Amino acid sequence: MASVWTDIRAVLPSTVSEFPLDFSEKIDLSVLKCLELSRDQLYSEADCPVSAERAQIIIDYSWEKLNIGTWRDVDKEWRRVYSYGCLFKVLSLCHGNPPQNIIQEAVRTCDMSLLMGAAIMDNILQRLVGILRNKIKTTCPNKAERSEEPFSKKRKHDCKSEPVLNPTKEVPRIHCPSLERFRSDFLDPKKPVIIEGITDLWPAFTQHPWSIDYLRTVAGCRTVPIEVGSKYTDEEWSQKLITVNDFIDRYITGTEEDGVGYLAQHQLFDQVPELKEDIRIPDYCCLGEGDEDDITINAWFGPGGTVSPLHQDPQQNFLAQVVGRKYIRLYSPEDTKSLYPHESQLLHNTSQVEVENPDLVKFPDFSRASYEECVLCPGDVLFIPLQHWYYVRSLELSFSVSFWWS
Amino acid sequence: MSWFGFGFNGFGQISRADVSGQVKCKVNSPVLISDDECKSGVNRSDRRIRACWSSRADLQQTQSGSGVYLSGCVCGPSAQVCVSQGCTDALISETHLTLSFTDRVELWEIKPQQNQLVWKREHELSAEHTAALPLVSGGFVQHKPPFFHPLKLCAVSLVLGSEHALLLTADGTLYSWGSGSHGQLGHGALTSLEDPQAVEALWGVPIKAVAAGNWHSAAVSSGGDLYMWGWNESGQLGLPSRGLEEEKRRGNGSGNDDQPMNTDEKSQTDVFISIQAFPALVDIANMSEISRISCGSRHTAAVTSAGDLYTWGWGQYGQLGHGTEHSTDEPTPVDYFSSHSLSVKDVVCGSWNTFVSVVPKETSSVLTETHPGLLN
Repeated sequence: MASVWTDIRAVLPSTVSEFPLDFSEKIDLSVLKCLELSRDQLYSEADCPVSAERAQIIIDYSWEKLNIGTWRDVDKEWRRVYSYGCLFKVLSLCHGNPPQNIIQEAVRTCDMSLLMGAAIMDNILQRLVGILRNKIKTTCPNKAERSEEPFSKKRKHDCKSEPVLNPTKEVPRIHCPSLERFRSDFLDPKKPVIIEGITDLWPAFTQHPWSIDYLRTVAGCRTVPIEVGSKYTDEEWSQKLITVNDFIDRYITGTEEDGVGYLAQHQLFDQVPELKEDIRIPDYCCLGEGDEDDITINAWFGPGGTVSPLHQDPQQNFLAQVVGRKYIRLYSPEDTKSLYPHESQLLHNTSQVEVENPDLVKFPDFSRASYEECVLCPGDVLFIPLQHWYYVRSLELSFSVSFWWS
Repeated sequence: MSWFGFGFNGFGQISRADVSGQVKCKVNSPVLISDDECKSGVNRSDRRIRACWSSRADLQQTQSGSGVYLSGCVCGPSAQVCVSQGCTDALISETHLTLSFTDRVELWEIKPQQNQLVWKREHELSAEHTAALPLVSGGFVQHKPPFFHPLKLCAVSLVLGSEHALLLTADGTLYSWGSGSHGQLGHGALTSLEDPQAVEALWGVPIKAVAAGNWHSAAVSSGGDLYMWGWNESGQLGLPSRGLEEEKRRGNGSGNDDQPMNTDEKSQTDVFISIQAFPALVDIANMSEISRISCGSRHTAAVTSAGDLYTWGWGQYGQLGHGTEHSTDEPTPVDYFSSHSLSVKDVVCGSWNTFVSVVPKETSSVLTETHPGLLN
């Protein structure tokens, strides 16, 4: 196996003049100086290490810029600077013959760039993480203890109340409808429906059925954002960044001391392209007006007992269930008034009502709103028309994929 | 009076490059800021320091008049340049230099070749304007267009965070406005305000000094009590920070990252503060009245009336002066000064560094001072 540094170095431009550092004048001259010094150092001698200290300065300075103003308003130039800082840090870490824990740190640095930075140099951080991933020995601890069955079901959350569905309110099911049929019967009249049979050929169900071991193999060393706390409206709710392996150890197979953890609403498939190969964008998305690139694909991976409070999204949604089952309840946007949305700007698309345990004194009209419900099972794809309100609770360990499209 | 500096020195803004052109990027214990030859005859009591992330501006009063001397990124790691004679106050940012003269204010854009005057405002000579920059007569200046903002309130002091402003009036009332996303306005909510609003929680507590970090705020009452609010990400409020606790755990349990917290640690998690949206009284054991306060981007420094310096918050660049690169959420005395019989008079923070002015401790003061660090 070639050394880590040789492989990394091969991805870099061969001369300093081919190494781009083009920024708009929004970027301060001082930090630009740091960037130039880092680049020049890299090419100053045949095999010169990059200053870890200077890389960290670039990361720390741009991190402060990323935290000024709302995320949406952060200038993309500062996200690019952040990524350059991460690039130099990776180069500094990987110089010489780095041990496993340093390679893991380099992978984490690439992920921080993919999560918070912006693509630079033809997405070089994505290419680097592809190299580094293969340098991490996949001998997971406790391998022998783990069962090989797809997902072990030993968490207590799993026993939590199994919903009793009212047959008159169940979401209709249909098998592989034609595009025309889907449009006329569901998309245009904005009616939810469960489509069966369209995921049968996903590699996630065939070639590499998704399992904890498979996720560890493909993405175990990758850093992802997770939510801690049973639902995002809780006071105690927080977010943190940990590796997929840590997430599985602590929140999936581990004890419950750490509370409920949920890898939620994360564009994991952009971060880990191997996983994207295992899923397919539903054909019905072509009925929308956007390009395929405009479709947002999110991963939702967590133990039983995760709850997404009753809320609505501004786009059409296909929610595909890959592993485990989820209880879902849907309300039409016509009933918005009976659902008591939060008044604050931040949560105005979220209802204040706890769907499965409503406070009917505080929210008396809630019982008047009509709803549909279902238990989504592996292979099912639920169509949630835009602005439909929906509530989700996982009944056991679950992995779902959502496709937001317009 | 002498000035000391510590913290981020990546551009030689504290301690200039050695003969080989190298700078020591992190200065984690106080070092004396050297006087320059070009300023011989400096009346040392009239030296003041202003700093931004990459540069430092010294205001000097000499026999031949006053002037501003710059060091750091703006002039290279081994030089110091005098940019303006006759100026009485100055502010420096990454992009702009603001100079105050008796009759006018000038705002210069820092350019690689030659700095460029981008905005200017004359005062009436009669105007009794004595407050420090960014206050100017009739308003305040900011380093982005339109540069000048008029103020209806009569301010004695104004400080700017990265997205918020704190204003102190002559009667000791504190006003805040701007972004409230991290609780930095102190009104109890995370909403933003266009116009100055009095911080109600401090009604009836006359304030004598204010400071603003990037996302945090500090106010000192006339009685010398310290109030802080805003983001506590690195412990900059002097309140328990979850981030620091987790960092500590990671550092200690090397290779044991996955261990769940033991129950003792777990029971403490309830008191961690990430965002403090109301002013909180920061109680510091054995600390006398606070006389001066200053904030870096993510750290805080306070001087007591006894002449001691306390620092807390982000310490990765040595900006806390404790001889380490650790952050701390506990206000901690900087032992260097007491152990060198120096009494701290003033403190001015740059983004990632700290500058303090000191005088020798009076030898007569043989009060048996307990060592605060040992009692915590």
